Amino acid sequence: MNKTTITRAGCLAMALGLGGCASGPGGGSIYVPMGGDDRSSAPEPPRSAEPQEESEPRVWRKSDQPEVSEPEAPATRSPSYRESGDELPAAAVSLIRDADQRLAQGDSAGAIARLERAQRIAPRSSEVYFKLAEAYVSGDNLGAAEQFTLKGLSLAGNDSRMQRSGWLLLADIRRARGNVAGADQAEARAGAL
Amino acid sequence: MTKSRSPRKKSSKSRPAAKRGGFWRFLFRAGALGLVLLAGWMVYLDAVVTSRFEGRRFEVPSRVYARPLELYDGASVSAAGLARELELAGYRAGDGVRAGTYQRNGGRFMISARGFRFPDGEEPRRRLSLVVSGDRVQSFSVVAGPDSPIVRLEPAQIGGIYPSHREDRVLVRLDEVPELLPLGLMAIEDRQFYEHYGVAPLSIARAMLANIKAGQIVQGGSTLTQQLVKNFFLTRDQTLVRKGNEALMSVLLEWHYEKDDILETYLNEVYLGQAGNRSINGFGLASQFFFGEPLKDLDVHQIALLIGMVKGPSYYNPRRHPERAKARRDLVLSEMAEAGLISADAATRAIGQPLGVSARPSYTDNRYPAYIDLVRRHLGRDYREEDLQSEGLRIFTTLDPAVQDASEKAIRDTLPRLARGETREALEAALVVTAKDTGEVLALVGGKDPEFAGFNRAVDARRPIGSLIKPFTYLAALEQADRYTLITPVQDRAFTLEFDDGRLWQPKNFDGEERGEVPLHLALSRSYNLPAVRVGLDVGIPRVQKVLRAFGVTTPISDYPSLLLGSMSLTPAEVAQLYQGLATSGFNTPLRTIREVTDARNEPLSRYSLKVDRVADPAAVHLVQYAMQETMQEGTGRSAYLTLPDRLTLAGKTGTTDQGRDSWFAGFSGDYLAVAWVGRDDNGPTVLTGASGALPVWSAMMAQLPQHGFSPVMPDGVQYHWVNAREQALTGERCEDARLVPFIAGSEPQQRLDCEGQFGRQIRSWFEGLFR
Repeated sequence: MNKTTITRAGCLAMALGLGGCASGPGGGSIYVPMGGDDRSSAPEPPRSAEPQEESEPRVWRKSDQPEVSEPEAPATRSPSYRESGDELPAAAVSLIRDADQRLAQGDSAGAIARLERAQRIAPRSSEVYFKLAEAYVSGDNLGAAEQFTLKGLSLAGNDSRMQRSGWLLLADIRRARGNVAGADQAEARAGAL
Repeated sequence: MTKSRSPRKKSSKSRPAAKRGGFWRFLFRAGALGLVLLAGWMVYLDAVVTSRFEGRRFEVPSRVYARPLELYDGASVSAAGLARELELAGYRAGDGVRAGTYQRNGGRFMISARGFRFPDGEEPRRRLSLVVSGDRVQSFSVVAGPDSPIVRLEPAQIGGIYPSHREDRVLVRLDEVPELLPLGLMAIEDRQFYEHYGVAPLSIARAMLANIKAGQIVQGGSTLTQQLVKNFFLTRDQTLVRKGNEALMSVLLEWHYEKDDILETYLNEVYLGQAGNRSINGFGLASQFFFGEPLKDLDVHQIALLIGMVKGPSYYNPRRHPERAKARRDLVLSEMAEAGLISADAATRAIGQPLGVSARPSYTDNRYPAYIDLVRRHLGRDYREEDLQSEGLRIFTTLDPAVQDASEKAIRDTLPRLARGETREALEAALVVTAKDTGEVLALVGGKDPEFAGFNRAVDARRPIGSLIKPFTYLAALEQADRYTLITPVQDRAFTLEFDDGRLWQPKNFDGEERGEVPLHLALSRSYNLPAVRVGLDVGIPRVQKVLRAFGVTTPISDYPSLLLGSMSLTPAEVAQLYQGLATSGFNTPLRTIREVTDARNEPLSRYSLKVDRVADPAAVHLVQYAMQETMQEGTGRSAYLTLPDRLTLAGKTGTTDQGRDSWFAGFSGDYLAVAWVGRDDNGPTVLTGASGALPVWSAMMAQLPQHGFSPVMPDGVQYHWVNAREQALTGERCEDARLVPFIAGSEPQQRLDCEGQFGRQIRSWFEGLFR
């Protein structure tokens, strides 16, 4: 592990720590609740009370191939995408802080356990994956670190600060693994931002 | 005479002497022999008793836990779901102040969490206050206990891995149990426990007297040590030989071990009830079993009930014979007061209490047999069966009870509606649900009777996947951005393939139609067969195989072109693995059912960490995801929206094999990935397609879960453009036939079409670019 990796990981940690403060849950995702709270108190499996058109007959299509009829797609419906990943909910931020402390004490396994909890809460946030990469760097598992960095980058979207952090982290990890060409390439990507 | 007499005399004199001598000698010999035999017998008994004591003390089944529910502001859970989760974790409706109770008022919850030792640290006792609104946790706060913005509830126990004799126990340590338990136990069962040497002749005499009086055995007079010894044997009949052996072994036990050791073993060994074919041994488990609470949290009257039950666990079973049980408990309480263990007041108060037994065992065996089956297979890679059965391991799985319940309900409700008559009887189904971004298996259903631990179709039914293969074929094509985009025209026209041996192959569309030229995204979302085969043959079968292997297919993949129509057979769980990479934009995430395993003392043994592995260019996968969303909105999957709200964006793919032998659906939202299969075990035909068989099951499951819509982050190197596919041109948003389509940067059309149908600016600028 070279020094810069750790230094940069540290810088990243600070950047994320500052950036990760106080954001609402869910970030940019569209959350679709399935039921109301006024549902019956029956303890059986939580089921949907989503209003469904009673009149709509439940006809399952006979053919795997399209027919021109039912149900007509509303004009507004179109494949969805978005420009950036989720922001971190406060609960995930607190888990990441906890992980940072563990990391500072050299407990990378403990840090990873907390970061995985954070990842389950905020699986579409690139910060969590960069943090996991950092934890794996300190646990000397550079292969996993590289993969988590790539995963984080795939969720960074148009957030250039996040992109830049990710590419720099990737450059350091690749250099530490002896992949000089890959490192240069990643550095160039960071520089272009 | 004398001569003649003397011998007679002699003989008459000496004979009795000889007789006497012989008798003593015989007695001596017999005694010696007896002693030798007894000594031998003692040695034997000693071996038996010590091996039993040493061995059995530590034979504890492994516990299997569901994933713990995480509570924090924004957590996704419905009020009914939270109530159910609390019930599964053994909480009871109450004041929300006593540990293990909760109070619910509409969407407002007050929960008094018991705390739990997780592998990564202690979750302390806390009182929590929160509101569930719109299927989300709000106003979460810790009212008492260490503050934290996120708290884990205790996980529900969903099963155990038991030794062959089916004895179950929760080990307790003597220094952890409430003091009243051993003291009360001694007061009732064995007052001289700390004084005697294993047997108490006085109590035996007293018992014998009582027995003779009654003409039958009514009293035991056994010490705790003797009871423990008796428990070491499976039969409970009382014979004299048996009693003798028991007494000898008790003395031996006392000779070898400390009193406290014996007492602790007794607390963990004593038989206290039966749950199906599983026996309830020890106070630790009995406390869970009868009250749904840990031993340390029990009240005086509950401790008294358990002590009372020692005398006859089935006779005093509080669920079956509450009156008998209460009478016995109250007797114990008065005895305890008499012995000075509790005050008279406390006894009176306790006697006034109802039994307080939970309605049914807080967990039952094998609630989720298919899931536990998969967990055992995963454990089998790293653990020996006998260790799982006896080492008291704690296994933390990824099962989400709410998702599992939704899955079982979806199959139960949907399957009977899919067909009639004989086919309906024969229809079977399987469902696998995973967390989209973690690969954690949240639910698994192995057949239409989820509680039946039989053929586990989710992991053992290997069936041809049909059109489920198509996204991978098109991915192989779209990875070559210079050759294929989502709007590349592909031929929906019949053709014949001739093999080297002269055989002919003529693939057909499901509906037998041919549509001529169609854009690639349409060919995928409508699941046309002819373009899929043409594209597959064009990019080459080896490339398609390579993609499949990268995404997780480990079985051999055929070289035949029929591969392109899904002749390859996979299990539903394997399909889930394959689609995980599509759902996460090209990152393979191994499916996991286990997060951690610890030993009985919470020392971590294994952690199964999240792993990601980039196996495809996220940009190309993004294009496939686009067409898979289109499948749900306009294509073969659109009947999902009969059940699901429009706002929930989804991506998926149907699959059908010849004559409806297999009906598949694989798809994902923002949070969940699920694969459903419907078909017959005898591989017979059905009237079903992927859309009419598996998709209704899939939708019925999804409809029960609050979740995020699928909305992938646009990866690096992807650009969205309004295009007219027919004209292969960029166009304006408001023009006819305009469609917003993602392209790998640089692969978008170079010409531009305005709304009047005139090609324009883009060509000019392209020319300008040429001459600049």
